[in-house]
Amino acid sequence: MKSLTCLLVVLCLSACETVQPWERGTLAKPEMQWQTDPMEISLQGQINASKEASSGGMGAAGGGCGCN
Amino acid sequence: MATRPPDKPSALLALTSSALLLPAYQVVRADAPPEFVELGMRYSKYDEDHTKGNKTFGGSSQRYEVDAAQFHLLAPVADNWAVAVDVQWEDMSGASPWFVGESLNGGPKVIMSGASIEDTRTEVSVTTRYYYDRGNAGLNYVRSDEDDYDSNALALDGSFNSADGMTTYSAAISYSDDNIEPTQGSVPTNTLKADKDVSSVFFGVSRIVSKNAIVRFGLAYTYRDGFLTDPYKFHDKRPGERNEWAVSTGYRQYFPWPNGALQADYRYFDDDWGVASHTLNLAWHQNLGYRTEVIPFLRYYSQGEADFFANIADLDKRYFADDYRLSSFGAVSGGLRLRHEIGNWAITAVGERYETDNSWGVYSGEESPALVDYWRYSFGLDYIFK
Repeated sequence: MKSLTCLLVVLCLSACETVQPWERGTLAKPEMQWQTDPMEISLQGQINASKEASSGGMGAAGGGCGCN
Repeated sequence: MATRPPDKPSALLALTSSALLLPAYQVVRADAPPEFVELGMRYSKYDEDHTKGNKTFGGSSQRYEVDAAQFHLLAPVADNWAVAVDVQWEDMSGASPWFVGESLNGGPKVIMSGASIEDTRTEVSVTTRYYYDRGNAGLNYVRSDEDDYDSNALALDGSFNSADGMTTYSAAISYSDDNIEPTQGSVPTNTLKADKDVSSVFFGVSRIVSKNAIVRFGLAYTYRDGFLTDPYKFHDKRPGERNEWAVSTGYRQYFPWPNGALQADYRYFDDDWGVASHTLNLAWHQNLGYRTEVIPFLRYYSQGEADFFANIADLDKRYFADDYRLSSFGAVSGGLRLRHEIGNWAITAVGERYETDNSWGVYSGEESPALVDYWRYSFGLDYIFK
């Protein structure tokens, strides 16, 4: 899995076209963000972590709760 | 349909994304502190389906209900700093699976915790962030309090852009000190008082693919140490350590017509308890005019069971658990998010349905009779002082 990820990273980095700063307006749109609603993501992540055996992976683990 | 003009980078997103220790968000948002004070509030209702009568001893049983309120404040401080405060309150009630026994016909059935469990939780998170020319760095403290559990967590994260701004590297570390003191009286508990620590590290990279696309990759490692057994489950004894790895990737593609974006995220998870999982999130973010967003979303999750999981736990083994959360199952959830702006205000609404089934997973294993389905609704208001 890690090898596959490394391969994907290399393929992607080599395939990207240069985008000038003044061409990045679309990338600033809310829908292009990794997380569009922080409170929604926080709550949904907590619910999933309390019902499933896996959690995290999108950052460092952070704080815990008694729900899991 | 009019194409929405490029938005000004949202200060709330810029800071809170990092506050959640997310990887390498776009360079166009990474290097500027917020311009205005922003406030957000959410109310959510979480409601689990009753456990079906043919899966329990004693007939249909109510499970958890949770009411949650969230509050968010973001404020710029001086030229290059920002502070965010997040508070979350939860009120929980209901019953949860206590243990699994064998019925007369040989099938496993759940025994629920008899009395309704009542608990509340308060979480306060404070983040300070410093913005520099080619990135930012944040320090985050989180305190969580429940009747039977408290947690103090500290996290540090940072991001750094390449000279051409095409690539963003990010990293984060965190440490959490948690204390458990189970409430006595409802069911016998596995400990009177215990603690556990959680340490985690993350590295991520994001890359602009084109004017309309961006991709990211992330690697995370988490180490848990201490009392990892569920204190309230009758047949539960878990190892005192857990090593977890997660590989994730994400992709965003904007389409000028119909003025919307595809959001795709995938995570592979693996640990030394034998659990492995795949998670795929898909969403379509549709803009309707300048002020309305409609976002249908779909999530697929599949996990394999832990090495020591069994519906009928063997109590002679070193470790055992009949907790449905450690069983093999698949889960599908989907829903709709709506957001509409009115002046400086924005209203949001979310509805979600989550369903599980042993046969939906890609991993084989025993089907737990305690798998859970639920509904969740959220309503919110945001305000920006400008």
